[in-house]
Amino acid sequence: MFARALRSILAAAVLLFPVTSYAKDTVKLVFIGPLTGGNSSNGLGGRNSTELAVKVRNADAKARYRYELVALDDECKPNIGVQVATKAATDRSIVAGITHYCSTVAMATVDVYHKFGLPVVVWGAVLPDVTYAQNYREIHRINGTMINQNETAAKFMVAQGYRRWAIIHDTTDYGKGHNKYFSQYLTRNGGQILGTFGVTADQQDFSAELTKIKDLGPDVIYFGGTTPLGVRIRTQMDKLGVKAVFQGTSGIVSDAYVDGLGKQAEGTVAFREGAPLERLPGGRRFMEQYAAQKYNDPPEAYGPFAYAAANLVMDAIERVGPDRRKVRSALNATKDHQSIVGTVTFDDHRQNAVPLITKLVVQDGKWIVWEDSDFATGKRKLVSR
Amino acid sequence: MDAGLLGQYIFNGLMLGIIYAMVAVGFTLFFGVLDVIKFSHGDVLTVGAFVGLATYHGLDALGVTSAPVLALSLTLAAMLAMGALGALMARWIVLPLRNAPAINVLLITLMAGTVLRELIRLFYPAGANPKPFPRLLPTDSLTMGSFTLRLDNVILLSVGAAAIVGVHLLITRSRLGLAIRAAAQDSETARIMGINFQMVVLVTFALGSALAALAGVTAGLYYSEINFGMGLLLGVIGFSAAVVGGLGNLYGAVLGGFLFAALQTLGAVWFSVPAYKDVFAFALVILIMAWRPTGLIAEKTAERV
Amino acid sequence: MRKIFRPAPVWPALLLLPLLGGYGYVFLHAEAQWQVAILALAGVAAILAAGSRRVGAALDRSWRAAPSLLGWLAFVVAAALIYVLREDHFALLMVATVLLYALVCLGLNVQFGYAGVLNFAGAAFFGIGGYTAAVLAAHTALPHLVILASAGLLSGVVGSLLVLPLLRTRGHYAALITIAFAILFRTFLEVNDLLGGPQGLKVPGLAILGWSFNDSIVVDADTEFSFYVAYAGFSLVLFTIGLILVWRLERSWLGLSLDAVRIDETAASVFGFQVARWKILAFSLGNVLAGVAGAVYGMMTGFVAPASFTLAESLIFVSIVILGGLGNPAAVLPATVLVVVLPEKLQFIQEYRYLLFSAIVILILLFKPAGLLPRSLRRYFPSWGKA
Repeated sequence: MFARALRSILAAAVLLFPVTSYAKDTVKLVFIGPLTGGNSSNGLGGRNSTELAVKVRNADAKARYRYELVALDDECKPNIGVQVATKAATDRSIVAGITHYCSTVAMATVDVYHKFGLPVVVWGAVLPDVTYAQNYREIHRINGTMINQNETAAKFMVAQGYRRWAIIHDTTDYGKGHNKYFSQYLTRNGGQILGTFGVTADQQDFSAELTKIKDLGPDVIYFGGTTPLGVRIRTQMDKLGVKAVFQGTSGIVSDAYVDGLGKQAEGTVAFREGAPLERLPGGRRFMEQYAAQKYNDPPEAYGPFAYAAANLVMDAIERVGPDRRKVRSALNATKDHQSIVGTVTFDDHRQNAVPLITKLVVQDGKWIVWEDSDFATGKRKLVSR
Repeated sequence: MDAGLLGQYIFNGLMLGIIYAMVAVGFTLFFGVLDVIKFSHGDVLTVGAFVGLATYHGLDALGVTSAPVLALSLTLAAMLAMGALGALMARWIVLPLRNAPAINVLLITLMAGTVLRELIRLFYPAGANPKPFPRLLPTDSLTMGSFTLRLDNVILLSVGAAAIVGVHLLITRSRLGLAIRAAAQDSETARIMGINFQMVVLVTFALGSALAALAGVTAGLYYSEINFGMGLLLGVIGFSAAVVGGLGNLYGAVLGGFLFAALQTLGAVWFSVPAYKDVFAFALVILIMAWRPTGLIAEKTAERV
Repeated sequence: MRKIFRPAPVWPALLLLPLLGGYGYVFLHAEAQWQVAILALAGVAAILAAGSRRVGAALDRSWRAAPSLLGWLAFVVAAALIYVLREDHFALLMVATVLLYALVCLGLNVQFGYAGVLNFAGAAFFGIGGYTAAVLAAHTALPHLVILASAGLLSGVVGSLLVLPLLRTRGHYAALITIAFAILFRTFLEVNDLLGGPQGLKVPGLAILGWSFNDSIVVDADTEFSFYVAYAGFSLVLFTIGLILVWRLERSWLGLSLDAVRIDETAASVFGFQVARWKILAFSLGNVLAGVAGAVYGMMTGFVAPASFTLAESLIFVSIVILGGLGNPAAVLPATVLVVVLPEKLQFIQEYRYLLFSAIVILILLFKPAGLLPRSLRRYFPSWGKA
């Protein structure tokens, strides 16, 4: 009787704790981004892309280690960010991180990573200060900053012959930062700003602002903010009969923007750091693999960066082994690393000196590279007056 | 500022006001029968809009093409579904807490709202992203200078106003309304007089929630876009409007709704950074409360000691 | 006669305290799904048991038999927990966070549970404390204890701006005033670049009497305590002071006056109570506690930004107070653990965690409509038999 009970307990224990023998050592990585709340679509896109990179690597027989991804939710709130960053950074089994979409959270957590020595690669936060306000060897960033993006944007749009702008930006650090750099480069390049409108990130109704803008009569409305607001503003422009080119930032380069607007999205221009995915062989493979996984949410604009960051980190670990200090040094020295977002080279602040900004435009329900579009050849016009 | 521009601002304000007013009327109804703040009201509005959208896609797949039929059926579906949801929530979430401190209803409805919101975000296909809402109303427009008046907006404004008038008539002229008013005034006496109190509560919550669904569909048709977080701010503003106007009073809710819309529009026009309009509107709300402690249209009751 | 004065046995509460400490330790270390699930279920079951007549009453009586002895024992258990966790940064951060949030909720409890003034802007006053610490610590050489005091004071002063409208209104009308304040506070911080705008401000670490809290405590070459030990210990001391203050307040004539004002304002004023005075006192005391807690929290996390002090955050504070049980300061702690630590422990379900968390809270309220540990009547003479 007793023996039988013991045997069944043992059997249950074996079922619960399978004795598996991996040929490879397991290495843990952490992904941190907003998985709940208003920015969750970007966070989930980044999470899925990172997970995909890990899956692909684990399927590769040549890889030295087996990777395990821990995904944490920072809710896009700095205090929760510090909390989960502490959790990840103090967990010695975690070797490196792919962290943060929201700039405020990235700003709040850099000290934590530095204090506990966890090397991280930022995959989505665009505020320049994240890398440039301190000199911590643990903090790297694979995506470009909003400075690069807006310089190209201002020069390009002025070259298209537009002169008069109205600016709408949300009052988060993302929108405010974009407004600052775009205004700076626009006036330097000869554009004129008729009015600037800061709006809150959860605002639904923009008719008062747009009525004012209609009265000002700009050629272009520049919008610094993310997809939900972009969709609302673009829709309401039509409702009030505001006829102007709608120019956005990397924040609206998403499938959700095009899906949310349908036909109205046609002719929206926006800019994003990094090479166009479609043009790089790895980029196309990424999109195919992503589609094959049947995730609930698309990768969004920064998913490829998260994917590239995960690969950058795993390549470093393959080379030097799962040791935080060694991985940090390996990441610090990244030069001419080939990734799906183009060549990655870190400068003295471990910021990817992305040379390339992709210009995008919506044509026939898709974001396509400007140079390939009918708009560039003059076949179509951005706005019909 | 020319007359056309002024007209445009006023019309924008009216549209915003009618949506706020519909939400505020719901709050005032709930407050009337049960002394509670129902924090999930904004999220019920969101779910209503999404039910409308799903109905549209369903009918569209079945081959229905007539825009008026689509518009009417999606509105009815949303209102019926939310009416049922409102009654269910009242029965299983609000009424069980009757003997607890009234404020506990706030927490449970807050959490119920989170559940509704998260359900949409996670389980509606790509629910975390903004969704385009179909344009089903005629968009003929009349342009006078810088004033564009569109037929669809006029229709939405009239339907909203008609709905509020309808609720008002229901409350003041029907037997059901009499029961609601009786329960609101003195629930114990109402029960003694043979009024089924629980039924009155359920009907009132259904009514308020159906109105929220109508507000959600109106917002969808007006902005041509809905998203899972749309009800958050609308709920808070609707509550504020109901309180500023004076709780338990339909006129007060309507007045509060339009007042709030006016404050926000004024704020957006005045300040160089329009985001200050919320600081402005809510600061003024605090001042109004200091001036009229029970709302603009005060409750006409004396306190018995 | 003898029967009436027989003191209740102390052992049930005495036994409970170390159990709670052990539970806290295990819960903070639980990572796997099944561990969290089992521990959460055990916790809920224990709380339900404590709420049942017999077990609850036994605990209640034994607690009242020797409140000060047991109170200090609780302090010792908590301190021991911090000591056991001395090298575990993350667990200590959670302990400190829970204690500071609980301190804010003690304040809200005084405001709402005693005086009946509902405050939906708790996070705003918490934020005022954090921002005060950020500005004063970065730009002045004031000793940090003075900065903490000023943070509390400033919260109280800003709160007094709302006192006039709050005194004139009641119930939902008063609720609206604090809701409006919570929204305008956040928007103001975000739009205005004066205090760092949406990006927020960095906050220097706390240093008291030359001891910098952000340095690890080095015992000898091999042993190093996490620097969070200092923060967790300091938060424990602050919370204990707050708790004693609130307990004393409740038992004094001040507490009786506050109750009178809450239960029937009109009657209270007829009997000569200065309604305004008590409301102002309670409201300010609550805001001061929130401000001090916010300052320490800001210094611990090293960063303050408007996104941390929204209306949604204020609602979290209100939720803790309601979930615990209105007016029961001791209930604040378990409720804070539930609201702050549980979502963290649910990280493994990632994007689904708030769905589950909200559903759990709904269930708890349906089973315990008045909160986990509702307030019981004062008993000035605890040994006088069963009430």
